[in-house]
Amino acid sequence: MSRVFDTEKPFPKLAKEALQDQQLRTNLAHATTTIRDKRKRVVAELSDWEELRDAGAAIKDYVLGNLDTLVVELEKNVTRHGGVVHWARDAQEANDIVVALVKATGEKSVVKVKSMATAEIELNVALEKNGITAYETDLAELIVQLGDDLPSHILVPAIHKNRSQIRQIFLDEMGKSGLPAPSNLTDEPADLAAAARAHLRDRFLSAKVGISGANFIIADSGALVVVESEGNGRMCLTLPETLISVVGVEKLLPDWQSLEVFLQLLPRSSTGERMNPYTSIFSGVTPGNGPSAFHLVLLDNGRTSALAEPDGRDVLRCIRCSACLNVCPVYERTGGHSYGNPYPGPIGAVLVPQLRRGERTPLENSLPYASSLCGACYEACPVKIEIPKILVRLRSEVVDEKRRDHAHNPELVAMSFVESSFSSSKKFEGAIRLGGFIGRLRRGKPLRHLPPPLNKWSATRDAPVPSKESFRSWFKETHPSSDNAATKKSLSPLRKLMPENRNPFNDKKKVTTSSSAKDAILATIAEANDDAHESKANRAQRNYLLAGTRSLDERVELLKDRLIDYRASVTESTSAEVPALLQRLLEARGASSVVVSADFPDGLLQEVRATVRRDEPALSTSELDDIDATIVGCAVAIAQTGTIVLDSGELQGRRALSLVPDHLIVLINDDQIVELVPEALPRLRPNDPQTWISGPSATSDIELERIEGVHGPRILDVVLVRS
Amino acid sequence: MGPAAMKVALFITCVNDGLFPDTPRAVVEVLERLGHEVVFPTEQTCCGQMHLNAGYRPEGLHLAQRFRQVFSDYDVIVSPSASCVGTVRELYGDSARAINDAVLEEELEDIASRVYEFSEFLTNVLKVDDVGARFTHRVAYHPTCHSLRVLGMNEGPKNLLRHVEGLELVEVPNEDSCCGFGGMFAIKNAATSSAMGDDKLTSVSSTGAEVLCALDNSCLTHIGGLSSRQDSKLRIMHLAEILAAQEPTRV
Repeated sequence: MSRVFDTEKPFPKLAKEALQDQQLRTNLAHATTTIRDKRKRVVAELSDWEELRDAGAAIKDYVLGNLDTLVVELEKNVTRHGGVVHWARDAQEANDIVVALVKATGEKSVVKVKSMATAEIELNVALEKNGITAYETDLAELIVQLGDDLPSHILVPAIHKNRSQIRQIFLDEMGKSGLPAPSNLTDEPADLAAAARAHLRDRFLSAKVGISGANFIIADSGALVVVESEGNGRMCLTLPETLISVVGVEKLLPDWQSLEVFLQLLPRSSTGERMNPYTSIFSGVTPGNGPSAFHLVLLDNGRTSALAEPDGRDVLRCIRCSACLNVCPVYERTGGHSYGNPYPGPIGAVLVPQLRRGERTPLENSLPYASSLCGACYEACPVKIEIPKILVRLRSEVVDEKRRDHAHNPELVAMSFVESSFSSSKKFEGAIRLGGFIGRLRRGKPLRHLPPPLNKWSATRDAPVPSKESFRSWFKETHPSSDNAATKKSLSPLRKLMPENRNPFNDKKKVTTSSSAKDAILATIAEANDDAHESKANRAQRNYLLAGTRSLDERVELLKDRLIDYRASVTESTSAEVPALLQRLLEARGASSVVVSADFPDGLLQEVRATVRRDEPALSTSELDDIDATIVGCAVAIAQTGTIVLDSGELQGRRALSLVPDHLIVLINDDQIVELVPEALPRLRPNDPQTWISGPSATSDIELERIEGVHGPRILDVVLVRS
Repeated sequence: MGPAAMKVALFITCVNDGLFPDTPRAVVEVLERLGHEVVFPTEQTCCGQMHLNAGYRPEGLHLAQRFRQVFSDYDVIVSPSASCVGTVRELYGDSARAINDAVLEEELEDIASRVYEFSEFLTNVLKVDDVGARFTHRVAYHPTCHSLRVLGMNEGPKNLLRHVEGLELVEVPNEDSCCGFGGMFAIKNAATSSAMGDDKLTSVSSTGAEVLCALDNSCLTHIGGLSSRQDSKLRIMHLAEILAAQEPTRV
C-alpha cells in the first residue's frame, strides 16, 4: 500500500524528530546549497528579472480574477481539439473519475509523470484500492516509490536521500517490480540514472495509459504545457493510447503570449537552469501524433474556497517551482516530511491551510508557525507571493479559532496578561522594577533554567538577566530637564479590536446547491470574484525585454555557448556540407540506423551509410526503439536559453521520433535563431504539438546535481546551418 | 557634521528598556555626540510586535494604537531595533488592512513614515559615516532578517562599522541566513530554532571574530544565549554600543 502522511503530530514534533537525523540534515544542506547557488547565478543573468516577476504575479492575478470565464473557455478549446474535460470538486471526485477512466481501458497499470495534484489527492492509493498499479517514472518519484517512502520536496521528492542511499534502494527494490538494478551499480548519479532508464524502458514502451499533471493550461487555445527534465514526461504524454491529466483550476494562463513570462520564471526558479531540458505542449488529440484519447480532470479541492479569501488568492498564484523551499532555513533543517503533506516548505505552510479552510487538522494549524518569518521565501518567489505576511495572517486565524474553542488556553491567558502589562506605562514600569530585582539577585549571571513554557528557551539557550537599572530610570536621572512633554500626555481611550470585528470579504460560509461539479465550481468562483475587490484585474504590463539586440553572428555564438553548456555538441556548417556532416555525426556515435520524417529530403541523406527508415507508414514504438538515431529540423531556436523548439512541422514528423531513439541530430537554419523567449512564441502556433528541447535529457534528482542522460535521447548533436 | 540639530524621539523598545539598557544609552550618547537633542516619551511600552507576529492581532493593534498616540507629537522617531521598526512599517498597516479598518490603517501608516531604525537614521537622514567611535576589535556583523529583508539595509550599518577607528570587520559566511530567533518561533519550534542558531554561531565563529553585532537585540539574545551556554568567548553587542565606544587604546 502506498504510504500516506502522518497527520497526527504537529510540525514542531515532526521537526524535532527530523532534526535528530544527521544524515538527513547533511543531505538537505548539501542539496539546498547547490540549488540556491545555481538559481542565484541564472537569475542574475536576466536584467529584467524583477519585471518578469511583476508580470508573472499580474498574469496570475488576472487569471484568478477572471477564472470562471477562462476555465469555461479552456473547456471549450480542449473539447474542440478532441479532449474530454471532467470537473472534480474534491479529491474523492477526481480519484473516482480517474479510476473509472482507467477501468474503461481495461488496463491494470498506468505510467505516471510527477504531478503535485495527483500527490495531493493521493491518486495512487485510490488506484491501488481498485487493483490498478501506478508506476511513478520521474527519477525522484521512482526512488520514493521503490523505497516505500514519502515525497519531501515539490520538485525533487527524494531530496532527503543521498546517492549511496539511492543506490541501496535500487539494488534492494528494483528487482521486485521489474528489471533489477545491475549488481555492479555504483553510486555515481549517471549510473543511477542509467539504471532507472533501463528499469523503466519497457514500461514506457508498452504502457497504454499515462497520467500526468500540467504546469500550465492555456485558456484561449486549450493547450497543456508540461515542463520536465528527464524525458519520462514526454514518454508518458506521447506514447500511451490514453492520457489523463489532473490539473488544478488555478494552473490556467489566459493566452499563448503569457508563456513567455512563465517559461522564463519557472526553470530558473526551480532547477536553476536557463531552461529545463524538455517542455511538451499539446492540445487535446492530434491524430497520429500522441495519445488517441485525452482526458483533462479539472481539480478544485479547496482552490475556489481559497480564492474567496484575499490571502488564498495570492497563494493560488503559486507555480510550484519550489524556490521558496530551497532558500528556507527551516525547510533546510527539518526536511519536507515535517510538514506532513506533499506541499512542504514555506509555500506548503500557506497553501495547505488555505486549501483546507474550515477543516484544518492540528498539524495544518501548526504550519503557519513553522517559520521564523525571515522573508527569504518572498525574496525568491517568482510570482511575488508575500509568504511571511500570509503566515502572520493565518496565525491570526489559528488564534481566533482558539479563542472560540478554548478560551482558557494557557497561551491565550499569557498573551493577554502580557498585553495588559504593556497597556500602561505604570504597569510596565512595575514589571521592569521586578526584573531589576531579579537582576540584582542574579548579580548579572545569565539564567539557565526558566519555568514552562520558557524552559523551551532555556533548554539550549541562556537567558539574559534583567538589568539592575532600566533605561528609563537612567534617562530620568541623566536628563532631568529634557523636554518630555509626552510624559504628561494622557492617552485617549483606545478602540478595542476584537476578532469579531474581523471582516475579510468572505467570512460567510458559502453553501452551493448546484447539482453538477462544474456548476458548483463555477458558482463558487463567481461568488468569490464578485466579493473580491479587484476581481477583474488588468492584464499584465510587458515591461520585461521583448526582443534582443544581438546580431545574427552573436545569436549563433550565444546559442552555441548555451547548448554546449548543456553538453550538447554543436557544429556549424554550410548547407552544401550538411549531407557529409550527417554521415560523420552518425558514424561518430556508431549509429547503424536512423529515422526521419516522411517529408525529410533525400538530398540531405545522400551520404548517410546507416539504414534510413522513414516514419511512413508510422513505425511502431518498438520499431522506433530499435533505431539508433533520429535527424530532425526545427521550428525555432532560442539563443538565450539554448532551446530548440520542434512543432511537428517541416522535417520533424511526430513527437515520438525525437524522443525514442537515443541519438538526436537537429538541424537549425540560422534564420530560425531568435535571441529571447518572447521572440520565439509568435513564430509558433499554440495548437501544434510541440517539444521544446534544451540539451540532452537530464536530471537533477540526485543531490540536485545536473547529470545528462535519462529517458530521452542521451546524445544531442546540433547542426547550425549558416546561410 | 551632518544637518542641523534635530529633535529625536527615542523609541527604545520594551526589551531594551529592562534587559539591554546599554543599547539605548549608546544611542543617546551617539546622537548627543553628533549634536542632536534626544527626548524619551515615557508613556512608551511595546510596539506590539510579539502579539502581531504570533497571531494576536486585536491585542497587537491595541498596542499599535497606543504607540501612535505616544509618538504622535514627534516628526523623527528613532529606534535601535530593526524588527520593531519593521513591525511599525510593514505589519501595522497590513494588520489594519486585514480587518478592513481604513482609518486605522491611515493613522498607522502616518506614524510609520516617521520611524527610523538607528543606523538607518545615521546613514540615510543624518548622512554620516564616521560617528567618532574607536573600538579595536575584530567584529562580525549579522544582518538580521528584519534589517536585511524588511528594511533593506546591509551596506549602511557595515559602512558605519568600517568607519570605526581600529575596528576590523569580518565577512560572515552565509550572512543572509536567518539565525532562527523568529520571536515566538524560538519557543514554539525551539529545536529548529536552536539548530538554526547553532549553524549561525558556527559561521560566526569561523571568522575568528571577538565580537558579534547586529541591529536587533532579540536575535542577539538568541545567538548569545546559545553561545553563552556553550561557554564561547564571543562577545555580543548591539551595533549602537560599538558606535558609542571610544576605547582609549589606539591600534
